[in-house]
Amino acid sequence: MTRPAPREALSPGAPEVRVSCRGLSKRFRHFEERVTSLRELIGRRALGHRIPEGRPVFHLEDLSLEVASGEAITIVGGNGSGKSTALRLLAGVYEPTSGTVEIRGRLTAVIELGVGFHPELSGRENIRLYAAVMGMSPRELAGRYERIVEFSGVEPYIDQPLKYYSTGMQARLAFSVAIATEPDVLLVDEVLAVGDFEFRERCIDFFEGFLARGGSLVAVSHDLELVRRLCRRAVWLDRGRVRMDADVESVARAYVDAVGLDRRVLE
Amino acid sequence: MSTHASTRRLTPGETLSGVWRFRMLAATLARHHLILKYRNSLLGFVWTLLSPLGSMAVLVLVFSFVVRIDVERYWAFLLSGYFVWVFFGHVVGAGTNLFREYSPLRRSVAFPNEVVILGAGGARLAEFLAELGLIVIVLAIFHHRGVPASFVVLPALIALQALLVFALTLPLATLALLYHDVEHALPIAMGLLFYASPVFYPASMVPEVARPFYMLNPIAGLLTMYHDVLYSGRFPDPGLALLTTATALVLLALGYTYFNRHRGVLPEIA
Repeated sequence: MTRPAPREALSPGAPEVRVSCRGLSKRFRHFEERVTSLRELIGRRALGHRIPEGRPVFHLEDLSLEVASGEAITIVGGNGSGKSTALRLLAGVYEPTSGTVEIRGRLTAVIELGVGFHPELSGRENIRLYAAVMGMSPRELAGRYERIVEFSGVEPYIDQPLKYYSTGMQARLAFSVAIATEPDVLLVDEVLAVGDFEFRERCIDFFEGFLARGGSLVAVSHDLELVRRLCRRAVWLDRGRVRMDADVESVARAYVDAVGLDRRVLE
Repeated sequence: MSTHASTRRLTPGETLSGVWRFRMLAATLARHHLILKYRNSLLGFVWTLLSPLGSMAVLVLVFSFVVRIDVERYWAFLLSGYFVWVFFGHVVGAGTNLFREYSPLRRSVAFPNEVVILGAGGARLAEFLAELGLIVIVLAIFHHRGVPASFVVLPALIALQALLVFALTLPLATLALLYHDVEHALPIAMGLLFYASPVFYPASMVPEVARPFYMLNPIAGLLTMYHDVLYSGRFPDPGLALLTTATALVLLALGYTYFNRHRGVLPEIA
């Protein structure tokens, strides 16, 4: 089993808080309802209609979290419950309507695995692109390129266009680049949904090493087994609000009960 | 410690360092624009040249034989500015759809969104440099029969051109994401600008009284300087250079102000 070369340990001693958010809220204006043409703008003005600011749709209300170094937490919840919005706020993609986010150390957010990948370009070019997307410098990439290719396990196809890669292979490539950023804080959204068993184990192995080295992980996942292996704490979001924030076993049990699944999925 | 996701405005320094951090993204996007355009294409760059050369041939025929424009070696005059004009049309035109094209990226990664404009614009600038290289050779051999000293200011003109096109594209790309009308309005605006800029006629044909106002259009200033340098083989007028740089910088400041006002909400719009 290969894994990225160990890096120097993060500051030892008392676990440091790496992710901290307080009272984090996000309301969206519904952009589909916004006026998007001049004709409409003039029309509404002329008719004396107030231009609607849009009603808030998917939203997140009052999320507070602290993740220490070496700690992993998971966010669970149904579709549209605000999980991805929470990650986007933590990653700094969205600006919060209210509340604060503080991140200590290097942050890597994998909200959509392989975003920006171009099917017509080779694996090699896509590594370069995704590394750039992840904010790596040319020098960092040069030093880590071999490691990325090795971890991904797609070396024989590296000069083939990405369109000939399977979904799983693309995910491997993207994930290998993401972890090569050597983050202190890793935010991931459903990244292991497509890899095969071997890659999944390799990733879990990476996550364990990452946490042992003092990294902080925030994972959104429907994969309860994975979540229970990596995380001790879970936050359950329900329609944008925190419904439960406790140890992962209690949250998993309550969540499974609430959505009406058979409890045997947890055994 | 980094506290991000704040709604406060970025200072110009923070804006620059943010873009600098993603310089590899801009360079890689530019590289990929070029790779995707020229892969599996035997004639490649020739196609890029053919379309403007074709339009130029029509302009030469019309303005040499039908509506006579009294300019010696009209083809050389046209060649000195036409490719600059085409560059503006391409970048600004492509820019209006750019933010939409990169929606998935903008919605999943926190990065200065203007980087995608630098990527697409950078690719087009690389093509322009190749075109300019050919133009310089052709003009040196067939027009000047030598290399005029004025050609040394070309890098400064190119820098001004890059600045100006970015200053125009940034607010337009933002506006185009918010209002679809921009895509329809832009061709009309560019059509008007074509006549309001010295592309197929020299700025000296504009009545003297109107020229100060005419030159407030920085594209007119830039094209006039290209004509001076490439066609006439003389150094551009310092006053015009100053005015054009100043208007370009004012446009950049206005463009960035508009962009920054919407910066926070851009990642929410697909």
